[in-house]
Amino acid sequence: MGVAGCMGGGDGGSQAIQMSMDGEWADAQEPVVQALYDAGLSEDIDVEFLPGDFETGARQTDFTSALDAGRSSPDIFMMDSGWTIPFIVREQLVNLSEELSSDTLDYVQSDYLSAAVSTASHPESGDLYGLPVFPDYPVMHYRKDLVEDAGYDTSNWSTEPMTWTEFAEVAADVVEQSDVDYGFTTQGADYEGTSCCTFNEMMTSMGGAYFGDHENLFGPVGDRPITVDEEPLYETIRMMRSFMYGPDAENANPDIPQISNSDLVEFTEEPSREPFTSGNAAFMRNWPYAININLDEGFTAGEDYDVMPMPYGVESGEGNYEGTGGTSHALGGWHLTVNPNSQRLDDAIAVLEAFANESVMLTVFEELGNLPPVASVTQSATEDQVGDLANFLDTFAVAADNTVPRPVTTAWPDESPLISGQISDAYRGEKSPEDAMADLESELADIENEGQ
Amino acid sequence: MRPLNWLETQSEATFAYVLLAPAFLLLAVIAFYPLLRTFSFSLLADQTAAPTPFGEFIGFDNYAALLTGEALLPQQFFDPSFATPILQQALFVTLAFAILSVLFETLIGFGQAIVLDQDFYGRRWVRVAIIIPYAIPIVIQAMIFYLMFNPTVGFAAEFMQGIGVFGNNPLTNATDSFIIVLVADIWKTSAFMALLILAGLQSIDRGLYDVARVSGASPWQQFKYITLPLIAPALLVAMLFRTMDAMRIYGLIDATAGCQTVPSMSCLVITALQNTRRWATASAVAFLTAVVIGVLVLLYLVSLRDTEAGVT
Repeated sequence: MGVAGCMGGGDGGSQAIQMSMDGEWADAQEPVVQALYDAGLSEDIDVEFLPGDFETGARQTDFTSALDAGRSSPDIFMMDSGWTIPFIVREQLVNLSEELSSDTLDYVQSDYLSAAVSTASHPESGDLYGLPVFPDYPVMHYRKDLVEDAGYDTSNWSTEPMTWTEFAEVAADVVEQSDVDYGFTTQGADYEGTSCCTFNEMMTSMGGAYFGDHENLFGPVGDRPITVDEEPLYETIRMMRSFMYGPDAENANPDIPQISNSDLVEFTEEPSREPFTSGNAAFMRNWPYAININLDEGFTAGEDYDVMPMPYGVESGEGNYEGTGGTSHALGGWHLTVNPNSQRLDDAIAVLEAFANESVMLTVFEELGNLPPVASVTQSATEDQVGDLANFLDTFAVAADNTVPRPVTTAWPDESPLISGQISDAYRGEKSPEDAMADLESELADIENEGQ
Repeated sequence: MRPLNWLETQSEATFAYVLLAPAFLLLAVIAFYPLLRTFSFSLLADQTAAPTPFGEFIGFDNYAALLTGEALLPQQFFDPSFATPILQQALFVTLAFAILSVLFETLIGFGQAIVLDQDFYGRRWVRVAIIIPYAIPIVIQAMIFYLMFNPTVGFAAEFMQGIGVFGNNPLTNATDSFIIVLVADIWKTSAFMALLILAGLQSIDRGLYDVARVSGASPWQQFKYITLPLIAPALLVAMLFRTMDAMRIYGLIDATAGCQTVPSMSCLVITALQNTRRWATASAVAFLTAVVIGVLVLLYLVSLRDTEAGVT
């Protein structure tokens, strides 16, 4: 945060609207800001992208202390959709429903990805506090060449998800017939990424949920059921144990072959990407940021590299709770929020208005590989506009239609490490899935019922 | 009367206190005041959903929760029912780490110091070689061990699994990671102990050993009756410093196995403060940490008092 330099608003200070982004955005400042001007932002308003910390947790703590201290700079924060709501509930952000033009608000409510919008809105009043700038959903990356060599026809894989059982068989065959060490890499470490995303989407595709029907995702805390001690979660854990330790291991699924190894319990995003990028993995579950990296390292889209939607356990609508079942992708993504202590509120709002334009979204997509928050813009993007990423737009469309947000409330920072801790214990066989989930249920109950 | 005259007429004790007063004032401002403020924060409730992080006054409820294993934290400070394994309770992890690391550092450092006390060719270079681990920044020290046990690039994980000492993924297992962090710290700070003990050894009058040899004392008797008592003050001071440092361990853990696998007391403070924004609980843990360290320091000071050439 020290990079912010002067505290905005002073007479001798910088007159630019300062936006706390990340290093990649800071590098792409010129084309993106030019796109903002082209979209109608007044050229009197200077915009500066500040390169914030790369790691999402570090940015959250930076913003927490900045807002707790009432700092007036930066004017705009780029916040992870997974932790925006606590700031909203603590009344630490500007209410955009009262500031943005009605045209923009209508555009957001009707065309923007609704799941993304709900993670930027007040859970009770529904007022908008953040402008989604890009959603992020993981996909299953795979080695098209190895799979086809193993005898599989991948022609409809881009849009037709398969079951986890089918997936495991394909992966096992590919491992047998090629020399890759990892049939499948994903993130299974004891960290936020497991509770929010990797486990969340697998569990949802198996028909399970943390807190029952998806209408309970954002609350009310303490007034919703805790549904972790149930079969779909045991199934998910057993499946992962089979993937890592084989079907004969204790508490594994005897019908699912081993396709990876126990390294998965230590993997986060980058460690899980490395084997794939260096050619040593057949399938990888990861965010789309990995696509550009893989293409840069020599893979060719459509020939030896492709992506497909995440596999599923039970059919959509046949899960235990409303919203569960079917292919499922964890909803990540980032929002632009406005600092209520900013000295240049009107200009900051003008910047946000400019971001809500198709041309800016396409520029961001091309320069940074970040998907537009409006599905129709993604689908209509052409190769001229977005390069190699155009090969994967159909898969992104399927993913966008089948997302599961993390249950972000003010209790989530407490609940997330408890969830990933118990899941990690269960993955490593320190507890049976049933014991781990029973313990998790009582731990979550303590958090949910705090203060009652 | 001029102040200077007045001062000179006071007793030794008063003079000493007057000299100490400025230092004490400074300490009061930068050490005691924050400590008391932290204590006052710890008597309030957490507030994760409101603009201000502190809620109403709740007295010692935070401490009760911490000491009964009921705190709303991802890892427990202390769980009297021992439903949580011992190496997953912050208090025991930190105490075990401090005791074991100081013990081994002292033994190894002592051995190194005795060797370095001898006169041999290349002694200077050996001293440099021994010091190098201590010169390495904590993060690098942590990264070395993290990379050694990393699943994709590390070599040590398989080796340790092969000889049956560690399990499958040592960096995710509480006991294995504890040992890794312990070894990492001992590797680095034995040098510190070696240097301080060496300084003590070199200040011993060689003539005493001559007298002892002439009187027929065995090497062990020389060690027990000459060396040990004479270096005891230096040794205890070194151990005191190392214990205080070890009780505060955080950076080494964060960069190897992570705070969720090896929860130390400082780890718990950071988790509560930054991750879950429970400032009142964090204040309570911080204050408890200060109390535990204070008690240990008192124990040391008491034993220092008892040594012959002791401070008081």
